[in-house]
Amino acid sequence: MKRLVVVTLPLLLAIAAPASSAEDTLYQDMGGQPGIDRIADMSVDNYLADPRIKDIFSESNMERIRAELKDQFCVIADGPCRYTGHDMVATHKGLHLTNANFNALVEDLQAAMDSCNIPFATQNRFLARLAPMQHQVVTR
Amino acid sequence: MKKLALLLLLAPLPGFAADEAHTIVQKGRAFHPGEVTINRGESLTFTNNDEFIHQIYSKSDGFNFDSDEKNPGENITETFTASGTFEVHCHIHPKMKLVVHVK
Amino acid sequence: MRLPFRALALYLGLAALASPALADALFDSGKLLATGGVSQVEGAGGGGLASWAMITGYGTRNGIGANLHYTAVPLPDYNLQTAGLAVGLYDRLELSYAWQGFDTQEVGGALGLGRGFVFHQNIFGAKLKILGDAVYDQDSPMPQIAVGLQHKENDRAAVIHAVGGRNSTGTDFYMAASKLFLAESLLVNATLRATKANQFGLLGFGGNKHNDYTVQFEGSAAYLFSRQLAAGVELRTRPSNLSVAHEGEAWDLFAAYFFNKNLSLTAAYADLGNIVIKNGQHGAYLSLQAGF
Repeated sequence: MKRLVVVTLPLLLAIAAPASSAEDTLYQDMGGQPGIDRIADMSVDNYLADPRIKDIFSESNMERIRAELKDQFCVIADGPCRYTGHDMVATHKGLHLTNANFNALVEDLQAAMDSCNIPFATQNRFLARLAPMQHQVVTR
Repeated sequence: MKKLALLLLLAPLPGFAADEAHTIVQKGRAFHPGEVTINRGESLTFTNNDEFIHQIYSKSDGFNFDSDEKNPGENITETFTASGTFEVHCHIHPKMKLVVHVK
Repeated sequence: MRLPFRALALYLGLAALASPALADALFDSGKLLATGGVSQVEGAGGGGLASWAMITGYGTRNGIGANLHYTAVPLPDYNLQTAGLAVGLYDRLELSYAWQGFDTQEVGGALGLGRGFVFHQNIFGAKLKILGDAVYDQDSPMPQIAVGLQHKENDRAAVIHAVGGRNSTGTDFYMAASKLFLAESLLVNATLRATKANQFGLLGFGGNKHNDYTVQFEGSAAYLFSRQLAAGVELRTRPSNLSVAHEGEAWDLFAAYFFNKNLSLTAAYADLGNIVIKNGQHGAYLSLQAGF
């Protein structure tokens, strides 16, 4: 009995190890710039259609947000971009966001990545880098 | 007699030099006031009393400006050197609008 | 016009629920899918055997979540069922109640208790999250940590004493550390439990061999195959306080499927080892959780 557990655990860890080679970056696994741009655009479309969070964007310059999101996603995925926007604290402070708002955004991003056929494991590698932004972006 | 004296005190006196700079407050992602009338050569000081970063720009044939972005607590002053009616916006928050009548 | 205070509060509460801005509502169902865990065998939020540091339900720190669960564990010579209710308050405090029924079937007859003799247990649980966030703290090795207790009351005091058990009621105390390694799609949990319980308390607490609290371990490791499916393994050690029955570790291989934030199904192969006079008590574990 114990032997089965001892065998299963390393097996789980082996499954969990990234399938891509050492050469691939997350940026490449997400489809490079075209892939990331598409994910960013679809995410924003989802936010604006999501009754839970669409009102957060009612005063925003959506073209600007789309462009900044593309840059930011690229940087987060280790792509060859520079994010020239302001820090996450300054840009979100006035919105008084909750964890529920943040999670809704994550779900909409997941749906966009699903539509772009990004494998779940790759999605999680990207989300793992976004998750800590909760500390800066959620203030309520 | 007293009433007349009081009325004269309250009425705007012609020829008296107005303040060189008027203040516009940015708050709640809006300009306060939303409309203002000034004389050519006068300035508007925009004070960011908001929780958001703002900037100001205006685009028309006679007169343009496009400022840096300002954090909450910061000010910027713009001098209106042309006459006419101008709209001032913020490129971060497209619904923000200030109408400036310059005499 | 003055509204009575209670009527006003009720109106505001209803208005909040009716509002399309669900994120601001009390029952916000705002947590990400599967991040409340499922219902473990004693009714706390966790896996199947192990209690986890996550607070049950989908309420975020601004809200409340709750759920009902039913679990069936048909073993070769016994049948275990549990059913319960749990509430998660502001992603900080979890309160749970679970009822357990342990049917001894033929063994009851063999022991002179009567065929189909059933032990019942009421388990009252409380869990408090004290540090960390399993989902958001991806930039830190820090796990989410919670402390909890499970107060258990068994209804067969006379039989428990007859088999060498000291008490028919007892309380377990535990500390759980849970971490989601999101980049690896891996969820890991380790819990230490101070307990005197025999067979989770179904055969009472303390015994003729041993009557002190001992520290036991329960751990889970699960791989996330998709947003809806997690599968993994658990191990739980138990004290062996009774001379009449040797009790060893329990373990399971499980898969949990989250249909949506209202329904999940967990299926496992569980091995509870020796229970009183019967060895090899392994079989299916099926659990359904419904809530928000």
